[in-house]
Amino acid sequence: MTADEFEAKLAALDRPAVVNVWASWCIPCRSEAPLLNAAFEAHGTEIEFIGVDVQDNQPDAKAFLAEFGLGFEHVFDRNRSIPNRLAGFGTPITFFFASGGELVSTHNGIIDERGLALGIDELLHLDP
Amino acid sequence: MEFTLLWAALTAAAVGWLGTRIWPEGLPDHPADRLLGAGAIGLLAGRITAMIAQGTNPLLHPGDILVVRGGVHSSGATIGALVAYMWSVRGELRCLDAITPAALLALAGWHGGCLWRGACLGTTSDLPWAFAEPGSVVSRHPVELYVALALTLAAWAVARLSFRPLLRSGLGLAAAGMVRLLTEPLRLSLTGGPTGWHIAAITVGLVAALAAPWFVTTRASPVT
Repeated sequence: MTADEFEAKLAALDRPAVVNVWASWCIPCRSEAPLLNAAFEAHGTEIEFIGVDVQDNQPDAKAFLAEFGLGFEHVFDRNRSIPNRLAGFGTPITFFFASGGELVSTHNGIIDERGLALGIDELLHLDP
Repeated sequence: MEFTLLWAALTAAAVGWLGTRIWPEGLPDHPADRLLGAGAIGLLAGRITAMIAQGTNPLLHPGDILVVRGGVHSSGATIGALVAYMWSVRGELRCLDAITPAALLALAGWHGGCLWRGACLGTTSDLPWAFAEPGSVVSRHPVELYVALALTLAAWAVARLSFRPLLRSGLGLAAAGMVRLLTEPLRLSLTGGPTGWHIAAITVGLVAALAAPWFVTTRASPVT
């Protein structure tokens, strides 16, 4: 998926979104994956969760998804154009968007449970 | 380990060292070294426990152990630190009681280190001392500072108890569990928090403190 296509996708959303940039070769992403699954299970009805797999190959990415059972939507971004457009640095990155695709905050690097829960809570207070 | 987390760890170590200077009674030789060593082993044990709880095999993915920000299991860390410290003082219960106030203070320093990490805030609040994340208008409880303050008070109270074996350490463990249990509703969580472990810590601590009269001090002299 290109950055333009991704922006259009976010703009069409009628609810907030958490976008996590990951890769199968990224060790911290392994620690984040169970947290993202827990967040999706807890808030998947109120918030859109989207994974962006960057600089990866599809077999390894599919094995990663199967290992962690990540149940939300993922898009493939071989050239890293999506996080680059959003000025994200490194991998992993977690972006928090209001409904309509407005970027609220960016967490560069691994996010812990408190940070993820806080980012989600902020989104829920923006869009009650 | 990211640098903000390292600052929190250094704060805990510095405050723990201060605790050994404020309450030196009954401590073994090199108490701060033993406390720091036990804390480091506890961190490792807590990280490995968290990995196993998250479904990651530490033997297959040893590199993940270094990703401390990925989660440290509080209970695994506590048990690991206690075992490491007791091994370092050869099982001498008196040394466990002696280090308890400093350990509680070190724990308070770790939670107070949220100021370096930008990770103090919990649920929303209208109280006058509540504050918001940068760029946000939503005021929140500084829950980690509440924990730091309560643990500091617990350290001070425990230091005033007598040296009956397991009394200080048992009540210190129970107090730490109680502080976490009472503040858990103010903490943002995706999984509900380790409430069961907090209750277990309170129970074990109180049983140990109540059973203290049945323990006999085997050695009064400091460990060399």
